[in-house]
Amino acid sequence: MSRDLTVMMLSWEFPPRIIGGISPHVFHLSKSLAKSDVKVYVVTCDFPGTPPHEVADNVEIFRVDSYKNPSPDFASWVYLMNMNMQKEAADIVKSLDGEVDIFHAHDWLAANASIGLKHVFRKPLLATVHSTEVGRRNGIHSDYEKMIHETEAWLTYEAWKAICCSNYMVSHVRWAFGLPEDKMVMIPNGVNAGTYTKTENQDLSLFRGKFALPEEKIVLFVGRLVHEKGVHVLVNTVPKVLEKVNAKFIIVGNGYMKEQLSNLVRNVGLAHKVLFTGFVDDETLRRLQKCADVSVVPSLFEPFGIVALEAMAAKSPVVVSDTGGLSEIVEHDVTGVKVYPDNPDSLAWGITKVLTDEAYANGIKANAHKKVQEKYNWDKIAQHLKAVYEAVLKDYSKSIWV
Amino acid sequence: MQVIILSWEFPPRIVGQLADYVKELSKQLIKSNVETYVVTYHDYLTGEYEEPEGVKTYRVTNPVKTHIGVLTWVLTLNQEVERVAANIYYKAKKQIDLIDAHDWHFIPTAVTMKKALNIPFVYSIESLENHRSHGADSPFNMAIKSIEWLGTYEAEKIVVKSKWMSDEVVRMYKVPLYKIKVIPPKSNTWMKDIMETYKSLQEAKFSNVS
Repeated sequence: MSRDLTVMMLSWEFPPRIIGGISPHVFHLSKSLAKSDVKVYVVTCDFPGTPPHEVADNVEIFRVDSYKNPSPDFASWVYLMNMNMQKEAADIVKSLDGEVDIFHAHDWLAANASIGLKHVFRKPLLATVHSTEVGRRNGIHSDYEKMIHETEAWLTYEAWKAICCSNYMVSHVRWAFGLPEDKMVMIPNGVNAGTYTKTENQDLSLFRGKFALPEEKIVLFVGRLVHEKGVHVLVNTVPKVLEKVNAKFIIVGNGYMKEQLSNLVRNVGLAHKVLFTGFVDDETLRRLQKCADVSVVPSLFEPFGIVALEAMAAKSPVVVSDTGGLSEIVEHDVTGVKVYPDNPDSLAWGITKVLTDEAYANGIKANAHKKVQEKYNWDKIAQHLKAVYEAVLKDYSKSIWV
Repeated sequence: MQVIILSWEFPPRIVGQLADYVKELSKQLIKSNVETYVVTYHDYLTGEYEEPEGVKTYRVTNPVKTHIGVLTWVLTLNQEVERVAANIYYKAKKQIDLIDAHDWHFIPTAVTMKKALNIPFVYSIESLENHRSHGADSPFNMAIKSIEWLGTYEAEKIVVKSKWMSDEVVRMYKVPLYKIKVIPPKSNTWMKDIMETYKSLQEAKFSNVS
C-alpha cells in the first residue's frame, strides 16, 4: 500500500511564535503542502500558551522544550535548543515507526538537530537558506560570526538540496559556501492574497482618516527601522516629494534608527507629514496596505522582499530599490517602479511618478496583483516543493548509504 | 556483545586520565569477547582504524572549525560522532547492544541514539563540572551541568570510580542509588563488574522488546 509523502520540518519559529520571516513561511508552506497530500510534521520551539502537540490545517505541530536556562549567548542557546529538538524529534520519528521520508531544516537555527536526524534515520535532508550571516553582518568580523557562518556552510554541505527564495540568494549562497550549481533550488516566497480580498468591499475612509487628511496621498513604509532597510533614504525624499504632491508618509515598524529619524523630521519642520506608528497589529497593517497610494521598499540589502509582495497583493502600487530579491519581484513599468538603491533623488522620482500619474499607477497595480496570484501563490509554491521532494526521493532510492 | 564507546579523548590524543582508562577498558573488552568500537575526536587522524589489540577506532574532527568555547565546540562535534556511531550501527546490522559514554561530551549523541534506535547507554563519570569549575554557576557552567543531568536521567546505568563520586552524583543530580555502580578501576573485580553492568543492560533491552 502506498502512503503519502511525509516530511518533517524543523524550524525555530512557528506561529504564534513569530520572530522573523521563517515563521510565516513555514506556516503557509506546511498548510499548502498538506493540501497537496503531503503529510507534514513541524517540530519547533515551545511558546507560552501553546500546546506541545496539536493538529491545525492538517499539519501536525510538535513544540519542544527550547532550553530555558540562561544561555551564555545566542549561538550557544541555538546549539542547546537543537540538542533538545533532536532528542524529542528522534522520539517522535520512532513513534511513527520511522515513517518520515524527508527532513527539511530552515536556516542554521535547526542545523544540528536536522543533521543528526539525517544520519540516525538515514533519510535525506533539505535545507532552506533564508538568510546568511555574511549577508546579515555585511562580512564576517569575529570568531562568533565565523562559527555561525561555518555552521551554515555545514548545513548546506549535509543537505541534499539547498533551497533559496530568489535567484539573488541562490548566487549569494553559492558564493558564500562554494556550492555546486546542481545543489541549488529556487523556490520563491509566497504571499496569501486571500487575506486582502477579505477586506475588498470594506469602506476604509474612516480608518484612513485616522492616519491622513483626505487630500493627502499615503506613502507607506513597512519594515524594521534599520540601516539595511533604507528607511533613512525614504526620509530624505520627504521634502523632494512634497514639492510636487501633498502626501503623508506613514512609517510602520521599530528599530534603532527610529529616534534619530523622528528627530530629523521634527527639526526640519515636517513632523506633521511623517507618522511613525511603531509596530501595528496584522489587521491594521493589512488595512494600511490597502489604503496606501504607494508602498515603498527602499532596502539597501534584501534577500527576498516579502513586504513588496504583500503590497502587490493589497493592490497598492510599489516603488522598490533595484537590489537583491526586489529586482526579481518587480518588473519596471510593468508591475512596479524600480529606482536606484541609496539614492533619494531617484526614489523621489519614483514616488512622484506613481502619485501624479493615475493611469500608470492603476496599470502597474493591476499587473502586480495578477503576478502575485500566478507566481507567488502558496499552493503553487507547495506543488513546486513537492516535486523537488519527489525528485530527491527518487535519487535517494537509487543511492547507497555507506 | 557489541559495544560503542564514546570518549572525547583516546590515545594518541591525551588530555587527562580518561584517554588511558578508555584504552585499557577497550583492550580488556576485546579479551572478554566484546566487539568494541571507540568513537573519539582527533584534529586530523580521522577515519576508521583497527588497533593492534583489535579495538575498532573511529576518529572524527569537528565540522565547524571556529568556536567561542568548549560548549559550542562539543555541541557541533556531537553530530559528527553521531554520524559515525549511526554508521557503525547500520554496518553491524543494527546489532549494537549498548553505548558507553564517558563524561558529558557525547551525552547528546547517546541520548539521541537511545531515543531513535533503542540503544541503551551507560554514563561513565570520570569527573563533574561542579568539581572542575569549583562550583561556578555561570550560564556556561549550567549548560554543561544540564547535559550531565540529562546523562544521569537518560542513562540505564551510571558507572563511577569511587564511593565518593557516587555520593556526589546523588547529591547533585538526585539520582536513585540503584542506578549507580561503583567500579574502581584498580579493583580485582573491575572487568567482572563492568561486564555485569553491560549484561544487565542487554537483559533490560531484551525484556523491553518482549
